[in-house]
Amino acid sequence: MTWDPRVTTLRLVVALTAVVAFTAFVVALVEARDPLVVAGLCLVALIASSLRSVHTQRQIELVSVVLVAVYVIAGPAAAVIVAAAGSFVQAPAPKIKLIFNSAQRVLSAAAAAVAYAALGGPVGDEVFSRMPDALIATTAASVVLQVVNALLVSMVLSLERGLSGVGEFFRHVVRTTAIPVLGYGLLGLSMAVVWLGGLNIFAGVLILGPLLVARWALSQYEAERLAQAATMRAFIQVIETKDLYTRGHSERVSEGAGLLGRHLRLSADRQNALEHAGLLHDVGKVGVPTSIIRKPGRLDDAEMDAIRLHPARGVELIGNIPFLEEVKSAVLHHHEKYDGSGYPAGLAGRNIPYFARIIGIVDAFDCLTSTRSYRPARSVEETLEILLKDRHSHFDPELVDAFVEVITTRGWKAAEDQLPPDATVQASIDHDDLSLGSGGGASGSAAGPSA
Amino acid sequence: MNAHESDYQFRISGSGIAIVLAGGILGVTALAMTVQRGLTGWSFAVTFGILIVVGEMVQFKVDRSRNRAPIATSAALGYAMLRGPEASPIPDVAQVVAVVTIATVIGLIPRVVAGLRWDIVISTRRMISVAAAAAVFALVTPQTMHWDGTWSNAVPITAAMFLAVLTAGVSDALVGAGQATEALNRPFPAALRDELVVLARIGLAMGISGVLLAAGTSLIGLWAPPLVVVPLLLTQFAFRRFASAQRTYRTTVRSMARSTEIAGFSSPGQNARTASLAVAIGNDLGLTPARMEALEYAALLSGVGQLALADPSPGGASLLRSREERQQAAEIGASIIERSGVLDHVAEIVRHSNDPYRHGRANNSDIPVESGIVNVALAYEQLVGEGNGQTPGKAMESIGLGIGAEYDPVVVESLRRVIGRGFRF
Repeated sequence: MTWDPRVTTLRLVVALTAVVAFTAFVVALVEARDPLVVAGLCLVALIASSLRSVHTQRQIELVSVVLVAVYVIAGPAAAVIVAAAGSFVQAPAPKIKLIFNSAQRVLSAAAAAVAYAALGGPVGDEVFSRMPDALIATTAASVVLQVVNALLVSMVLSLERGLSGVGEFFRHVVRTTAIPVLGYGLLGLSMAVVWLGGLNIFAGVLILGPLLVARWALSQYEAERLAQAATMRAFIQVIETKDLYTRGHSERVSEGAGLLGRHLRLSADRQNALEHAGLLHDVGKVGVPTSIIRKPGRLDDAEMDAIRLHPARGVELIGNIPFLEEVKSAVLHHHEKYDGSGYPAGLAGRNIPYFARIIGIVDAFDCLTSTRSYRPARSVEETLEILLKDRHSHFDPELVDAFVEVITTRGWKAAEDQLPPDATVQASIDHDDLSLGSGGGASGSAAGPSA
Repeated sequence: MNAHESDYQFRISGSGIAIVLAGGILGVTALAMTVQRGLTGWSFAVTFGILIVVGEMVQFKVDRSRNRAPIATSAALGYAMLRGPEASPIPDVAQVVAVVTIATVIGLIPRVVAGLRWDIVISTRRMISVAAAAAVFALVTPQTMHWDGTWSNAVPITAAMFLAVLTAGVSDALVGAGQATEALNRPFPAALRDELVVLARIGLAMGISGVLLAAGTSLIGLWAPPLVVVPLLLTQFAFRRFASAQRTYRTTVRSMARSTEIAGFSSPGQNARTASLAVAIGNDLGLTPARMEALEYAALLSGVGQLALADPSPGGASLLRSREERQQAAEIGASIIERSGVLDHVAEIVRHSNDPYRHGRANNSDIPVESGIVNVALAYEQLVGEGNGQTPGKAMESIGLGIGAEYDPVVVESLRRVIGRGFRF
């Protein structure tokens, strides 16, 4: 076995954290009073942490509500004990992770306990006469709880995965939980008020009930979203069966556009919309007769007009779905060209919607890197050169540069070779194909579809 | 807006008018009594009133049933169940009803002005059920019983609150089930079961939040509403997102279904007509909401298998004359739908949607009744739908000839009822 300094350091750090946490726990045991109340709170915390793992990946949630309540109900020391009790329920993980998670929970609770005590937060019935103090101290405690939690987790993450792991953690976990955490502080305080008001352990039901129902609704939301994505993909696959050569094209365009979108740092909503637009850009092909799509050789003008209708057909089809408006404009304009020679509207330059410019690039890229019956697939490098060559005539030059950068750094898994299932099928020409100068597909006249 | 969006909306019906009338009389009486006696506890009335106004303003539609206003419901319930020491004087039942009435009306005005979806019947139902909760709570909780930090007072008060909330929920479910029966011809027990299922979810969250709001305000006065606003907002936020995802998904399926029309395999509106008839039959048979949804999707998507076949003939007439061809298309459609991985029930319904009853469901109870419904709906639409122009009676007659052989007798009976009640495309 090779000796890895990082693993050893990681183990040392975890061991050290565990020792400090254990010390804090022992001190808390000595300090805490009211064993019956603490036991009741431990029970609620255990229930809360077992509920936590039902869905959502967030580590801190229901338990932090209970913890904040403990500061007010039974004092800071009790909170450390409750945190330790709560960490008995954890998702299965390697032993070292379990130890570290328990230790960091105890330590963050202890740090928050110190903050609560330092600010003179009220304990017990005092809370009824000192609401402003309670509000300040509980808010401070929940902030400290989260900050220490974030610091400890990023410490081990930096040892385990390096600094990029920490960045990920801050972007995805800390940023999204910062605001809810303040809300949970308030909720913890209301739990404490109702507990001390005489309800005791039943206060837990009042707090956890609505949270669980909300959680259920959010899981349904997630399920509906996944169902929608899956349904759209299945449907796109059906449309692609019309054309023997474009299998997987829409999903790859969606993926490529997604890569570029992340590079351009779009907001989550727009990123999602861009990926939808990539998936759906050719959906209107369902309205183009299969005989034209599969026709061998060049298309005559009437047939080309039928092809040029597909963006408008696509918008007609998805028009009712409450997507961002940008999805629809991208589907409509993904065959526009930067010099104004595209269809359906002959838009030029920045007049072409942003998403349509993105889809146009990825669309052409995927077409060129895929096999067509009349030509083999091009290599990624060769294709990127073609894109760069056409960067002013066909595409937005800045977006082409960005796309080339993304593909050269992130790489690209091109379409697998697809042989027509039936050898008698003859060459049909892809309307997206750039490699075929005029008369093929890509560079038609700027005329819109003839009605 | 899609024509189908209104499928599940209650039109102003006989019961709707009665509800609004009853609510109006209740509200005016309560208002008169409050004016006569004078309003007590202004700060509480205003705070809870504002919460109700805001809640009404941000109401939304979820579970394909009707508008919900969780914040308004919880706030109104909370106001109805206040007790000392901090929340005194306690508002009497008349004042609770008066405040809720005024706040509800004020909250609805911006929606009406902005042209958003609003429903006076639903809002009146909310107000009536809160009145019921207030009355029950006042009846079972002695005026002298207050929150004082002891278990012996806190538990009875909380129990009374849950009883009151349950009264509100169950009475509203009964009214809702009655309205569903009236508007959609669902059997009453099925409608009540659906209402109770919804009650156990969003109703539970709204009720518990109301209890929390009341308990908190009773103990720490007006500090409580801002503290308890978290679960209220969370419920609102979570269900709103759920509702919007549901809506998106539904319109996605509808749009995908229209692709057979764009491709020329079916005439415009054909899928939508078939689905509306299938839904009417499903309602008549009292299917659960989940099965209703699968039924609607299956009816919409029943022709999707044709997409994988060759081009349609010019003019759009169906190529699929023979049963074998239709069954083959259904099989392909089912495998397409199955590929999504999330619509297995829908795929199963579509798979058997062209099986004749005698060779299908009569001998194989695994085949869902929904397949029979889609089969009958498709046949009826073919006969009566646009351009085919048979009268309903004539179409009923020719479908009647196929009872037991081609069509499921239960479904045909149901179709007869649905048509008899005046169903038209």
